[in-house]
Amino acid sequence: MRIEQHPVLCFERGNKVSFTFDGKPMEGYENETIAAALHASGVKILSYSSEKNHPRGFFCAIGKCSSCFMTVDGVPNVRTCVTKLREGMKVETQRGKGELL
Amino acid sequence: MRQKNIKTTDVLIAGGGPAGLCAALAAASLGAKVVLIDENEVLGGQLVKQTHKFFGSEKQYAGTRGIHIKDILISEVEASSSIEVINDATVMGYYTEDGIVTYIKNDDFYKIKPGKVIFATGASERMLPFPKNDLPGIYGAGGVQTLMNVYGIAPGNNVLMIGAGNIGLIVSYQLIQAGVNVQAIVEAMPKIGGYLVHASKIRRAGVPIYTSHTIKEAYGQDAVEGAVIWEVDEKWQPIPGTEKDIKADNICLAVGLTPATELLWQAGCEMKYVPELSGHVPVRNMYLQTTLEDIYVAGDAAGVEEASSAMVEGRLAGYSAAKNLGLGKDRADALIQDALDELSSLREGEVGAKIRKGLEKIIV
Amino acid sequence: MLIRTGIPTPEQIEKVMPSKERLTQGPVAVIECFQSIPCNPCATSCPTGAILPFDNINDLPKFDENKCTGCGICVSSCPGLAIFIVDETYSESEALVRIPYEYLPVPEAGSVVDATDRAGQIVCKGKVVKIFTSKTQDKTTVLSIAVPKEYSMTVRGIKIPKKTETDDICICRCEEISLEELREVIKQGYTDFNEIKRKLRVGMGPCQGRTCRPLILREIAMVTGRPMEDIDLTTFRPPTKPIKISVIAGDGNEE
Repeated sequence: MRIEQHPVLCFERGNKVSFTFDGKPMEGYENETIAAALHASGVKILSYSSEKNHPRGFFCAIGKCSSCFMTVDGVPNVRTCVTKLREGMKVETQRGKGELL
Repeated sequence: MRQKNIKTTDVLIAGGGPAGLCAALAAASLGAKVVLIDENEVLGGQLVKQTHKFFGSEKQYAGTRGIHIKDILISEVEASSSIEVINDATVMGYYTEDGIVTYIKNDDFYKIKPGKVIFATGASERMLPFPKNDLPGIYGAGGVQTLMNVYGIAPGNNVLMIGAGNIGLIVSYQLIQAGVNVQAIVEAMPKIGGYLVHASKIRRAGVPIYTSHTIKEAYGQDAVEGAVIWEVDEKWQPIPGTEKDIKADNICLAVGLTPATELLWQAGCEMKYVPELSGHVPVRNMYLQTTLEDIYVAGDAAGVEEASSAMVEGRLAGYSAAKNLGLGKDRADALIQDALDELSSLREGEVGAKIRKGLEKIIV
Repeated sequence: MLIRTGIPTPEQIEKVMPSKERLTQGPVAVIECFQSIPCNPCATSCPTGAILPFDNINDLPKFDENKCTGCGICVSSCPGLAIFIVDETYSESEALVRIPYEYLPVPEAGSVVDATDRAGQIVCKGKVVKIFTSKTQDKTTVLSIAVPKEYSMTVRGIKIPKKTETDDICICRCEEISLEELREVIKQGYTDFNEIKRKLRVGMGPCQGRTCRPLILREIAMVTGRPMEDIDLTTFRPPTKPIKISVIAGDGNEE
């Protein structure tokens, strides 16, 4: 789903970065957010809501709406739409609200 | 708490979008020491995703793409020695008792005491209530723009756009440019709300615009697979039997923005609900000074409008704040008058009627 | 009607069409701008003064066809991509239409493409005669397309085939409150935003009500018949965004 050619823009994606999503190895780029990298790999479900178990994706993509929470390196409720991807990140689908660490 | 020493500045600006950047440049040009705080790594607010050429006149960079206007403004800000930019930082609160603003950067907590504050905090995306509206793949238009124009990732293969205001039309055009198929644009109003030249451009690309239509429901298992739309009558009531099924792996909601006014509320500025300005906005004078004398507002936080007017409002607030600090006495009045004139000419025409009506209710 | 469909009507096109006489004299601009918006780059970019300077930035373009040389600078300057150049003198049977183009792929010069009308419908074939891409155009490419003369006022684009071609209405994402749950408490008599907040936790989640607030206000207004401006909001308190508990609790490292 990455846009390879664009009539107006050119994208500076930076270096390739490896991370895991629910244990599966994945690749993205260092200038992407976690949610963007997942979307590019076809992952749209970032969490399941705690009460009704609805699958959830991101909504606003600028860190305002809280729809993109995931567990990253063990920390829950990370706003993945504004958090940049880093080498070795362990990204997990969040189920529920997360525990106090 | 890792709390740093309190720092001071003449003018603090919360938000580095078109309004905030212009406010910083204006205040600094009159000799003010400025601190500009922005949540993102790169300044520019929503300009970073605006690939189209702007309307307006040369003074508002007409004919230049939003992404390039951002570059121009940022380089001017960087060239100014009196503007300190604090990026990747979020303003957390404003404390009226002592005029202190708090913000967080890298999990550290800071306090700052400014002479004047300009809130240029922009707006938040609106959601629309319809069944299954929280399915993955249903995104706000700004979210789609971010994914597509900042990260270069297509939101889907087939997009259904909800809303034919300027944002809905522009994002549809940008989707087509990115090689994504736009299935249709759906608009509940009986007429297209955005600029008609944008609408004509999209029609030329073969995308239908359904006015007087709304979304009945989205469907899909783990992510959106499509939607049913239907026609509404002049009283906004859906007309059974007019349902159309549209396959889409992305539904893009461009149903407007709400001014982001949390900090103005916290500060205790008098607020008023003005539908023409898209929500609750602070009561202010023509110089954008709120009911609290040290607090100014500019851009979409003052009422959702175009980026061109946000830039001029930023300048106006910046000059006014600096002037009230006793700076730039010889030049401030003329600059303020220029900004006021520019704003009234931008709002003078038929598309500015709604904004003019809204402003009448809020300017004291 | 343009405002309902996005397509200018034949009457509107008639009004901006160059005179028959002017069309026999070579390329000329057709300015398809029908709505007064604050925008003037067409006039400021016109090197011959054919698009007259605006008195007011909200003016519609005023055009002197006899001053227009058909140079086409306005085609890529117009932010609305609403200006075209028509040259009916191109050949015996063909007219040349110059159109702004901001898509990929850019067709090759000499290729034959489907030419489309103002609704994106294919009307005839067109030959790409020339492609203009100067730096000042800033990626608004201008294509010269040769089409049968009778389509000179119809063709306004080209088409290149692509390679690939409830109750569960959510009101508050953070606390997962549906429209039905909201309506239920309003029915119970909670018609004040603060009461509803305490009842349902709407506005108390990580987004601080940014997403649900306008929807809830609208619903209260609809049910109670009170105007939006009369409905009190909840108190706004810091922090504005989710922060780590450790930031608040601290690690004793105060300066």
